[in-house]
Amino acid sequence: MDFDVNYLLAQWPALFAGLLMTLRVSLLAIGFSLLIGVLGGGVRALRVPLLGPAVALYVEVIRNTPILVQLFFIFYGLPAIGLELSLFWSGVLCLSLWAGAYQVENVRGGLATVEWGMHEAAFALSLRPWHYFCLIALPIAFRTSLPAMLNTAISLLKNSSYLQAIGLAELTFVAVDRIATDFRALEMFSAICVLYLALVALLALAAGRLAAHLQRPFRP
Amino acid sequence: MSRVLQVRGLRKHFGEHEVIKGVDLDVEAGEVVVIIGPSGSGKSTFIRCLNSLEAPSAGDVQVHGGSAAHAGDRKALAKLREEVGMVFQDYTLFPHMSVLANIMLAPVKLGRMNKAQARDTALALLERVGLRHKAEGYPAQLSGGQQQRVAIVRALAMKPKLLLFDEPTSALDPETVNEVLNVMKALASEGMTMVVVTHEMGFARDVADRVVFFDGGRIVETGPPAQIFSQPAEARTRQFLASVL
Ligand SMILES: Nc1ncnc2c1ncn2[C@@H]1O[C@H](COP(=O)(O)OP(=O)(O)O)[C@@H](O)[C@H]1O
Ligand SMILES: [Mg+2]
Repeated sequence: MDFDVNYLLAQWPALFAGLLMTLRVSLLAIGFSLLIGVLGGGVRALRVPLLGPAVALYVEVIRNTPILVQLFFIFYGLPAIGLELSLFWSGVLCLSLWAGAYQVENVRGGLATVEWGMHEAAFALSLRPWHYFCLIALPIAFRTSLPAMLNTAISLLKNSSYLQAIGLAELTFVAVDRIATDFRALEMFSAICVLYLALVALLALAAGRLAAHLQRPFRP
Repeated sequence: MSRVLQVRGLRKHFGEHEVIKGVDLDVEAGEVVVIIGPSGSGKSTFIRCLNSLEAPSAGDVQVHGGSAAHAGDRKALAKLREEVGMVFQDYTLFPHMSVLANIMLAPVKLGRMNKAQARDTALALLERVGLRHKAEGYPAQLSGGQQQRVAIVRALAMKPKLLLFDEPTSALDPETVNEVLNVMKALASEGMTMVVVTHEMGFARDVADRVVFFDGGRIVETGPPAQIFSQPAEARTRQFLASVL
């Protein structure tokens, strides 16, 4: 077997740059997708006229079309209507919109588990609807939907590798680019698998910490 | 005596189904009115109309001579709610907030008090119901009776003119029922105006100034507890009391 560790060590600076790019794109998109999820999930749960159905349509379109097509639509399609984004922001937009659709459903699912009694109690105390939504319903929902939100965030991180298709220099792009010149496919793909696994593990660890924190009030 | 609550011609229907069929009720300041009646008779629906958790289909509810809530007037209904506190059967404390945060939330968010005032008020009220030491705890760490006492404090923190209770002890273990009833008794003796739906006939007898017997969406009979429990005028009242006593 021919596995050249020294080759990988020599390529580390390039891989590290790719890793950083993957991390930057993914973290930004995770943030934006959560924002989309909270706003969209709220609009869906509160059955806001017009906006509710619009969000539902968005969710259906995203969930039932290939992410690669969405990416090409953003990168190659949008400039035709005068909306030209950089490589980086095209990537962020694509991943945010993709994961946002799933986060909408996650938040909506969490909100559906909040007992109606919470709403009545808030109402009886004269709290305003936005108090109820932001201070009571969302935090309670967040705790129930955190595992699903984490799954979506992990999928987003993995799907960031599609961005190599438009030439963004993230982790997968760096690997494929190197393999084209050095033909060290086994080493490169092994290396980026390990790096993706490490990123996912870090994300899960952070979410686990957060879950434990959110769980605290509910333990007897 | 000044009148705290005045209900005139109150009706409520859900679709075709009329649940409250024209109710008039006056409650004077400091009065404790206990509503009894068979389940399904509309007691919850009625009491929920008093703080506009249900919007009345017809008639009006007036609190403290001030805000009248006619059927359909949403603004007035919201105003009315600020003057009326409510305690539910299942406590409905916010599970992710500490006891203190539960109590301080509404007074602070509605601009009634600043944080320090709200905290002092909350701690003083907790002291009165014997739960000062649970201020930093969470609802899940309390027994049912303790949670219900916190729920009462949470309602009191808004300084309501009228406090409503809908079967406040029905979800409790028998041994904790009294700790909640005792708090309610203490409130009554301090002059709190209260409307209480309950199956605790002992409480009705000892604490009520007036008992209202509710059946089929109407007030069948009302009077001081001595009269209702020993010489009810209506046959239906007699039947009901025979079945629960
Ligand atoms: N939101 C609602 N929609 C339809 N029917 C309702 C609703 N709330 C209560 N009811 C009906 O109104 C009647 C009275 O209920 P309720 O006020 O809960 O009685 P009680 O508290 O005396 O047991 C019942 O028949 C119940 O099914
Ligand atoms: Mg009831």
